Amino acid sequence: MTATGRLRRRTLLRAAAAATAAGAGGCARGTRPVQVAVVWSGSELARFREVVAGFSAPVQVVGVGNDIDAFLAARQLAGTSPDVAMLSRPGLVVEYARRGWLTEVTPAASYAVPAGMADLLTADGRRYGVWIKAAHKSLFWYLPSMLAEPPRTWDALVALTRRLGARHRAGTGPAPLAVGAADGWVLTDWFENVLADIAGPGGYAALARGDGDWQDRPVRQALDRLAELWSIDGAFPGGGRRALLTQFEESVIQVVHHRDATMVFEGDFVDAVGTRFRRGTEELAAFRFPGARIADQPLIVGGDAAVVFAGSAGGVELVRWLSDAAAFRPWLEAGGYLSPNLAVPADSYRDPVRRRLAVELRDAETVQFDLSDQLSGTFTGTDGVGIWRIMQDFFMDVTDGVSAAEAVRRATGQLAETARTAGRQR
Amino acid sequence: MSRGPLLGELAVLDDVGPPRRGRAYPAAGASWVLLAPAVLLLGGLLAWPVLRTLQASVTTDGRWVGAEHYRAALAAPGTAATVGRTVLWALVVPSVVTVLGYLLAAASRRSQEGRLVRLILVVPTALPLVVTGVTFRLLYDPDPQRGLATLLLARVTGRAPEQVPQLLGPELVTVALMSAFVWAWVGLAMLVFRAALDTVPTGLVDAVRAFGGSRRDVLWDAQWRPLLLRTVAVVFALVAVGTSRTFDLILVMTPGSVRDEAAVLALRVWQTSAATTTGEGAALGVIWLVAVAAGILVAALFVRQAWPPPRRSAAVAPVAPPPRRLVRLLAAGAAVAWLLPLGVLVATSLQDPVHAATESWWSSPPDLDSYRAVLTGAELWPSLGFTLVLATLVTAAVLGVALLAAYPLAWLTGPAAQVTGLALMVAVVVPVQVIAGPVNEVLGVALSSGTARGLALVHVALGVPFAVLVLRNAFADLPAEQVRAARVGGRHWWGTLRRLARHNRTPLLAVAVLEFVQVWNDLAVGLLFSSPDATPLGLFLAGQTRGFVAGSGTLAAGSVLASILPVLVFVLARRQVVAGLVAGGVR
Repeated sequence: MTATGRLRRRTLLRAAAAATAAGAGGCARGTRPVQVAVVWSGSELARFREVVAGFSAPVQVVGVGNDIDAFLAARQLAGTSPDVAMLSRPGLVVEYARRGWLTEVTPAASYAVPAGMADLLTADGRRYGVWIKAAHKSLFWYLPSMLAEPPRTWDALVALTRRLGARHRAGTGPAPLAVGAADGWVLTDWFENVLADIAGPGGYAALARGDGDWQDRPVRQALDRLAELWSIDGAFPGGGRRALLTQFEESVIQVVHHRDATMVFEGDFVDAVGTRFRRGTEELAAFRFPGARIADQPLIVGGDAAVVFAGSAGGVELVRWLSDAAAFRPWLEAGGYLSPNLAVPADSYRDPVRRRLAVELRDAETVQFDLSDQLSGTFTGTDGVGIWRIMQDFFMDVTDGVSAAEAVRRATGQLAETARTAGRQR
Repeated sequence: MSRGPLLGELAVLDDVGPPRRGRAYPAAGASWVLLAPAVLLLGGLLAWPVLRTLQASVTTDGRWVGAEHYRAALAAPGTAATVGRTVLWALVVPSVVTVLGYLLAAASRRSQEGRLVRLILVVPTALPLVVTGVTFRLLYDPDPQRGLATLLLARVTGRAPEQVPQLLGPELVTVALMSAFVWAWVGLAMLVFRAALDTVPTGLVDAVRAFGGSRRDVLWDAQWRPLLLRTVAVVFALVAVGTSRTFDLILVMTPGSVRDEAAVLALRVWQTSAATTTGEGAALGVIWLVAVAAGILVAALFVRQAWPPPRRSAAVAPVAPPPRRLVRLLAAGAAVAWLLPLGVLVATSLQDPVHAATESWWSSPPDLDSYRAVLTGAELWPSLGFTLVLATLVTAAVLGVALLAAYPLAWLTGPAAQVTGLALMVAVVVPVQVIAGPVNEVLGVALSSGTARGLALVHVALGVPFAVLVLRNAFADLPAEQVRAARVGGRHWWGTLRRLARHNRTPLLAVAVLEFVQVWNDLAVGLLFSSPDATPLGLFLAGQTRGFVAGSGTLAAGSVLASILPVLVFVLARRQVVAGLVAGGVR
């Protein structure tokens, strides 16, 4: 190669390097949009983009998949955290705040959430997050043509399940219950509703904080109650083994399409699945998760909270704006979403189900937040891990003929052991 | 032909054999500069993370705790079962794959339909394991309305569908997973055996026959002893190491409730520490790492001892008679059985989404709605585009880095060559789940944790060892005249390198194809390191399995679309891949 050749190559390299630098600089100079990391995807993500389109500054929303915790940890390590993140586990909010990753936030003046929700987002007396969305998780869904009179107490539910189960065994009717036991969170939601009814706010909160005793009476009673219902022969289409391979959506399909089952328990998001897979035009109706007495109606809610990462002024602005009732409007118009903000008037909901649920959220004496989402470390559960796994083992035991006492003993033992390990890790 | 289109790994494994690099390669003055990119990548993203994992397994916050993490990890409920299951995988699956691969290779030789049979068997090899998982989960669905296997079992046993053993249930899930894995890997084993059988000189067979040898003597003296013993060892080792990739399959195929019954070490390590570093996760990881490394080293040494350097013989005309009719029927039967899962996948993708979730795929005429839904959805195209760019760039980078490093490494001789060979071989089999945490720390320092750049870097680092191994061998085996000519022709090292690379087109192509297909098909790396800006295909598909039944139509359609390119590339280039991986021979 000649000297000119070499020179040319070097000039080219230098030019390329300069161009790269210029490109990077150009990006940095423009006003950086506020970056928001969310776990949503599909229509949920599209809806949120509509919401933030109303904000005064440009906002970039990135869906980061299911494991937002791993994502944020990696980003924090790299020093490239987003401005805002939406978290559905209040336990994480507190954890991040303690590590100093977050900035304190101040919600809009109109922001008002049910008692018991706001406290979950504070650490050392400071508020580190605001609730943006809510889910009502205490509902049984059924087709009105399949069930004349919904049960109003736990005992009535058990009696109904026995009756329908006997008919199902005889081959003359659908099974009483569909359950997506392949998804651990479905079973933990069952458990939380029963526990909230039995333990009351104090005991429930203690377990959530990590200083309750998992082998104490309320937990045992709650599991006893579940065992009483789940062990009924013929309760589930195809039996317990089949239920453990049924995912949440499929359990709804069993009710609305195959009509193999009469009722399915889960949150307010069931009706979207039902509408998609229903046969005919009949819509699902819902009744509240029954407590021991008619007056006892446990109310478990889930939700998404917005947090701001340290040093982001734009993020603080955005979160304050999001916490205002007015920002929820695109969600109201789309239907199918519930606001945790009591300042959103109940009659502004378009779909009647949501309107009813909003009223229930308002009228409930106590609202309990999803317990498994508050647990720390791996106890919180994911496929094959933590409380998800423990509840699935319990389900397998009671539907497989293991005596209730033995199944409860095994489950409480595992719960206590996992709680100890998780506490150590913290 | 010669030592074999035994699929490069052979050559790779052989490389620790007796030093055969007698000729001195021209010393490149810039050898450290040439090695620098590979050393940086492997040092930063493989070696350091492995050391950091070792350290994490014996310390807590920097404090020495000895074997405490090991004790805790091994005492944790389920660990014993997980380890047992991992060993079972590493023994049972390679045995089955080896036997089936040999039988099918023998049965499909020298017959008209043999070509077609081999083609059908090779297709699953190129599929992403995520797609294999989707396919078999559809096939094994516990609902007889959707799961063909469940329906057939109910018919055969005469039991009600609820009473039929559940293929995805806790008792049988490992068997179901293994069947999917065997389905995917037999094609590769068959290719290797076929190439090996073709190199057996027919003269040898005739000689054994002439001395009155029976059929068994032919198999023993003319095939097993000279060649097959070694090939079996290679295939066994390859598949045993390959079983560490069951991770993808388990994530996709098992419902959450049976995941523990299916867990192997790969999954357990990931569940304990995900993309961070924890003591217990590190301890499990170290145990696993040692086992894998020991396995590959033993395999390498075993192969070395069984090594009679085969002579190159002129292309043998197929003089031997084609196999008997029964054997040929067996091959045809296998082809049909191998097509069935593919048929299920395609048939499911040809249902509209609601129908696919609620009814059987054989109950209604095909329909393109699921494809329409996937193709018009917001996620598939960006994911396809990103994966294409990622796989292309990573392949280019791997080739570049490996080519630079292979050149100076090729003229090492004696113990130095053997040590680098062994080190690279171990680097090839390091499971990414084990080092994910420390790698993330390194990426954090390099400002690319959780970005597409970081993901690409990890892919490159994981791909380089294998590429260096293959290319180094290819360089080392170039005839001296060609090297000399290149030296004279190119005035600088890069000129020489370019000329030498030109003589090595086939191995280069082989490495490129394998790297491309590997990145395209990846799930584990994407899961551990992907960025929010772009989702690789594997992750996109795996994410949809969360609502498996409800999304089965679009999932199947997405799987078919994701498989087209790797299958095409692999099937078209399979000859070059086999030939190119065989370092050496006169070219």
